[in-house]
Amino acid sequence: MVSGERGQLYTIEGFAAALIMVITAVLVVNATSIYTAGDTHINDMQLEALGSDTLKMMDVAPNISVEKAPLQEIIENTPLNSENATFKTMFLKLSNISGTGPIHDIQFVANYSCRNNNDTVAIYPLASSDRHFTGGEHTVRATKWVIVNKQVCDSAGPQNRAVLVEVLLWRD
Amino acid sequence: MRFQERWLYNMTNDSGVLSIDFLVGFTIFILAFIWVVSLIPGLLIGLQAHTIDYDAVAYRTGVILVEDPGEIVAQNITAPWESLPVGRVARFGLAISRETPNILSEEKVNRFFCTTVFNDQKYYKDKAIFGDYPYHFNISLSDGEAPPLKTGDVLPEGYGYIRRLVKIKGASNATINGTSIPPYFISTDQNVTSHTFSILINTPRLYTDVTDPSYRIDPVKDQIMINITNLTSTKSNSTANVNLTSITIKGVPYYSSIPYTSISLDGQNSTLPHNVTEEVSIRFSPRFFQGVYEGIYDPALYQPILVNLTFDLTANSTFLNNTWSSPFDYNYDPANVTQPQLRDAVMEVAVW
Repeated sequence: MVSGERGQLYTIEGFAAALIMVITAVLVVNATSIYTAGDTHINDMQLEALGSDTLKMMDVAPNISVEKAPLQEIIENTPLNSENATFKTMFLKLSNISGTGPIHDIQFVANYSCRNNNDTVAIYPLASSDRHFTGGEHTVRATKWVIVNKQVCDSAGPQNRAVLVEVLLWRD
Repeated sequence: MRFQERWLYNMTNDSGVLSIDFLVGFTIFILAFIWVVSLIPGLLIGLQAHTIDYDAVAYRTGVILVEDPGEIVAQNITAPWESLPVGRVARFGLAISRETPNILSEEKVNRFFCTTVFNDQKYYKDKAIFGDYPYHFNISLSDGEAPPLKTGDVLPEGYGYIRRLVKIKGASNATINGTSIPPYFISTDQNVTSHTFSILINTPRLYTDVTDPSYRIDPVKDQIMINITNLTSTKSNSTANVNLTSITIKGVPYYSSIPYTSISLDGQNSTLPHNVTEEVSIRFSPRFFQGVYEGIYDPALYQPILVNLTFDLTANSTFLNNTWSSPFDYNYDPANVTQPQLRDAVMEVAVW
């Protein structure tokens, strides 16, 4: 019946063309969902915000009758070069508070520092979690300046000094 | 008919004729083509990198809520947004002031999570989350004691989120105990049926005595609660029934027989007269004092307020009465007033 078949598409060609288009589309769609290097910083940002908030909230007194914020009191009451258990308990309690989101299992190491008269920096340990810091962890850093009345660095006696509290924290 | 048959049977050339085979093949091709074309907008969305965007939006929303006191649609007033109707709110923000990030106002928190006021998710999307993309969200605030406050949709599998630690500034309150009350608060020489008890809210002094808004007693922005307990011990005639009949300021009755939402008596917006037995609690919403100051929010213009509570008794008796002595001063003395407490809480914002 049909003698001239040039220029005609048949079912099998239709299928083939459709298949090629669909496979191409699927490949392209998958190729665009790339996990970029930038994504990895989101976790760091979330952890840093949490660490920073924790230090900030530890430096707020619960009411007007309390003269010193917990963080200030902890530093003042901790002898130089020894660790403070209250800081550890408080920091872990605040940073591990779990709401509806993913549970955090946070480890940390904290110290505070101030400047000596000869422009060197003295660093004093403050507290650390049970899992000790080995240096291989992927940590973020949270800091807070605190005014304390204490004999630190080259102070002659207890006096108001600004110390920088620094916490390195990571997820276990 | 005859002509058509003859035309069909006499067809010697098939050029221009569509075969069924071709129609089927072409239809399949077109359907697949349409499907592929419809994927093109999806390709562009894929390039937006959802996860990065969601986390960034969650972070931004967290900052807006935790570090900002909010904003109203400017109309020559400076009222806090939580006292205004929905339409006047330009941006949500729960911080008590710009200088105190992470310290949240309980009034703002309660208003923000009040789903009877903000009964549509578009309010949260327009005034807290922002952005053209129709984000889904879930915002929660938990202080570890009460059930968490929540708004938004149920969390799916994957979402962008941020967790912020905050403190919520609670309301101050005063408990006036009938058994340990200073003698000048009871009218031993006044055996009458009507007694007035005055409470001094000295707003200008409350503002100057404490400048840090985190610890300030602020009648215009925070609730004030007065509990009067052990009232029987103040009565010389125990058979006398007591009714709280009016609450006035400068002689103006701010609370009459109409239920008034700005004052709550014993936990509810009841009407006056209110029967009082052993104890009574009176909670003043900030709106009450905003009304007294007639919508002016300039601390320099605030005047001290004397709140007079009038109690009528069914028989002559002594009762709580400081008409001839000094009013009860609502101040920063911990013996008089339990000061505002800051309690820990965690706010989580999830966006997807």
